Amino acid sequence: MGEIKEVMMAYLQNKSFMDSGTKLNDDDSLTMKGIIDSIGLIELIDFISEKYSIEIPEDLLTPENFDSINGIVNIIQKLTK
Amino acid sequence: MSKLICKKCILDSDIPGITINEESGLCQFCESYTPLSSEEKKKYLGIIEDLFTEHSGKGEYDAIFALSGGKDSSYALYKLKKEYPFLNILAVQFDNAFISDTAIANAKKMCEIVGCDYFKLTMEEKRLCDTFRKAAESTNAYSKFARYRASDICNTCISIIKQKLIEQAIIHKTPFIIFAFTSGQAPNPIIDLQVNFIKWSRNIFEKQLQNFGVEDKDEIFLIKNEIIKSIDKNTTPIMLHPLCLWDYNEDDILKTLADLGWISPKISDSNSTNCLLNSFACHNHIKKYQIHPYAFDIAGLVRSGDMTQEEGLEKLHKELSKPLMEVAAKKLNMELE
Repeated sequence: MGEIKEVMMAYLQNKSFMDSGTKLNDDDSLTMKGIIDSIGLIELIDFISEKYSIEIPEDLLTPENFDSINGIVNIIQKLTK
Repeated sequence: MSKLICKKCILDSDIPGITINEESGLCQFCESYTPLSSEEKKKYLGIIEDLFTEHSGKGEYDAIFALSGGKDSSYALYKLKKEYPFLNILAVQFDNAFISDTAIANAKKMCEIVGCDYFKLTMEEKRLCDTFRKAAESTNAYSKFARYRASDICNTCISIIKQKLIEQAIIHKTPFIIFAFTSGQAPNPIIDLQVNFIKWSRNIFEKQLQNFGVEDKDEIFLIKNEIIKSIDKNTTPIMLHPLCLWDYNEDDILKTLADLGWISPKISDSNSTNCLLNSFACHNHIKKYQIHPYAFDIAGLVRSGDMTQEEGLEKLHKELSKPLMEVAAKKLNMELE
């Protein structure tokens, strides 16, 4: 969990201009907090697919799985098992 | 500390959020940049060709093409039909109430030259102006990342275009939607628009509109929910950005277009050859965020070698057109500060 979370936080800080001071809880919505939008989402999904060598099935492409740090960590853990 | 300019692109340390590594002299984007190799570009073009072969010739149109009438989309339409003459294309030009007459004439001319149908997508002018004004007045409508990609006004306009083109593609079961984004604007050349993504991106845009006080209850700007419900999961459209795979040289593009009879617009905006709102949108964005909305786009072109750093910096620092800004501000009923 910790390592994936660190990777995702570093990605968001570098690629989506999230300030290092931004308070982001693990369940906060990335889209509602203005951290990513639909184009950012495509890039995030590309990054995850490449970094973890996984293919993301269409039915898993949902806000529950990709709109929060918790959701992302869980889905990566599930798909890399 | 004095301003540092990235050694590779045009981003600098005065732009909020941009860090230049003093050792490497590179911005954070150039440090992690891996360009598409010519083999990868060829591979993507091969995939696109296979997709065209597999899916074309089955419906009313093979592709919906977003044609602004500006140089990039005019050239991309020409090149697309030259490379894939069998494609049956509907070119859609969005009349955002600020499109220049020259852009309309150019779009129609390009459609005649390449032999494709032309459709002008129009909406109520007052509603568009109200929406653009609210976007200009907002400071929290879009994600931070989006502020680097385009102005709040441009993000609104392009989101409307995307929503409505996806809607049309679903209605007409058109397999492809094609945009002329450069490598600086669209790093992904092929986007398979899956149903969940279409729904999600619609809801994100709805929320963004609400952020600046626009309730699009009758779904003029958004994909209609009824249409989303009717999507056949096996025929969702694919969005393509072939221009980011082709060689890009602004001077060559302008020369090709001039030879075809495309008329260079008389508007003095270095970043748009079709939209009379663009200078105002840039001015408004720089004032709000101290970020030039074309910096990231131009940086992408320079980073990928499609533009020299000198050309990029010149383009970025070209003064915005005051007469254009004044006309747009008046139409939006805003003060030009």
